[in-house]
Amino acid sequence: MRSKNLFIDPGRCIGCQACVAACRECDSHRGRSMIHLDYVDMGNSSAAMPTVCMHCSDPVAPCAQVCPVDAIPVGPDGVVGTASAELCIGCGNCVHACPFGVPKLDVAEMLQYKCDLCYDRSSQGLLPMCASVCPTDALFYGTYEELLEKRPSAEAVDVFEFGEQAIITGNAVVAPAGRNDAIPGGYSVWSEMDQDPT
Amino acid sequence: MPPRDPRFPPETGHDRRAIAAGSVAALVLTAAILAGSRSLDNFDVALLGYALGTIFLAFGVTYRTVIWAGSPAARRYLVRGWKALLAKPGKSVPVSEVPRTLISTLLLQRFIAQRSIPRWLAHQGLFWGVVTATMITFPLTFGWIHFRAVAGSESGYWIYVMGMRTAKIDALGIVGWLAFHGLNFSAVLVIGGGAWFLHRRWRERANNLTQLGRDLMPLIALMAISFTGLALTVSSVLMGGFGYRPMALVHMCTVVLTLIWIPFGKFFHTVQRPAMIGVHLHKQGTLGSDGALMCRSCGAPLEGAVFVSDLQETMGELGLNYAGWVNTCPSCKRIARGAQYREQVKAGF
Repeated sequence: MRSKNLFIDPGRCIGCQACVAACRECDSHRGRSMIHLDYVDMGNSSAAMPTVCMHCSDPVAPCAQVCPVDAIPVGPDGVVGTASAELCIGCGNCVHACPFGVPKLDVAEMLQYKCDLCYDRSSQGLLPMCASVCPTDALFYGTYEELLEKRPSAEAVDVFEFGEQAIITGNAVVAPAGRNDAIPGGYSVWSEMDQDPT
Repeated sequence: MPPRDPRFPPETGHDRRAIAAGSVAALVLTAAILAGSRSLDNFDVALLGYALGTIFLAFGVTYRTVIWAGSPAARRYLVRGWKALLAKPGKSVPVSEVPRTLISTLLLQRFIAQRSIPRWLAHQGLFWGVVTATMITFPLTFGWIHFRAVAGSESGYWIYVMGMRTAKIDALGIVGWLAFHGLNFSAVLVIGGGAWFLHRRWRERANNLTQLGRDLMPLIALMAISFTGLALTVSSVLMGGFGYRPMALVHMCTVVLTLIWIPFGKFFHTVQRPAMIGVHLHKQGTLGSDGALMCRSCGAPLEGAVFVSDLQETMGELGLNYAGWVNTCPSCKRIARGAQYREQVKAGF
């Protein structure tokens, strides 16, 4: 596995969209942003949620597993690539199987696009575009030790909970020190409602 | 050791089935060559390498297809797609939709034009070059078609198909000239398309993602076949046959190595994409008959109800235990996760 990862701290995100603009400049998908920036409580709060591909490692890349044509490559370093332009048939399986809501689908092009950790850059030791411009380090790229050097009171969690399913990821989310339980993935709200007969 | 691919459990004996299916395909093709060439009477021994390469291709493509079709998502979509394609016309999609899909997606590949027009033109060159070359060479190398000189004529030939004499052709006439130079036209198309893709690989700023084996070798192989094939014409037409024999050997090597490699590299998309041609008809048809499912959070249309239940079944087979999450749109998934982070992880951010 790779030593450097993205550490995402939604608590630091100011919703400035610099990451979205920078992502558009990435060589492998010029003009198209792969990062999602959602406002969690639009109108009431400026809280924003940046979402990049988390590069799921266990279970490995659900998006790739549900792909009917093996179009999504998973590298030996755990990076889950964007769909192969030759293979992708644009069925949308990956879009809906991704628990984090990451892949995008261009129906006319019959092609999926997703964050690939700016592999053309990160494989050469450069920062992913989003992390290179984030003014608050809400998107921090480096080793876990480098993260702790900057934020001694932070914890990095790479386990997410989607109902009964725990998913371990390559990238991690920053949590307060000592809080290393699985991060809720949002699904539990609905799974509890599913089980409630009322 | 890399983690086992959960799509292909080792205990299923799938690999043995794939080898058996591949062997059957190779035997069927061999039998067809024997029958079509009249027990090898019309088989050109100089083309033996090509024929053997194609027999291996039949094995490899079938083997790889069976392995591929074993994964839950591929199996489900192959069945669904072919049912939609072969359904009674007008039953689930308009009558015109099947030929429209075949022409638009398979032949004209308009989805590539949506990505970029130069890319589309280059791919059309590669596609039609390879298709025409295949249609010309396979019957020739199998001994299904051969030519015999017409007695008393300097340039007339009888065309024999499956051992039966059919039409007469004048090699120096327009039709004859076009037919005998068909492979040259194919080579020009392939070289034009391949050159554009190689140039793009060379100039692409993200070209450190290009892999020699995965991305460059298929292009280099097609270009090598085309250039060595054209060199044979140059040798015979312009150079009085100089260097023809060694070049013929080099050409055969490039073709045979490519044939052997097709099932295991990027070229396999030439099997996968046509095999999945019916998936969009299936999605369109079931969307019409069963309706769309709405995101249970925001109420926006999500996908067809059948698509969602198919995906949930696939996820269940793969042991992905959050299939209920599929009923929520990607945007609402992200916002729900953000809201829970805000409430439970870093309160009040």
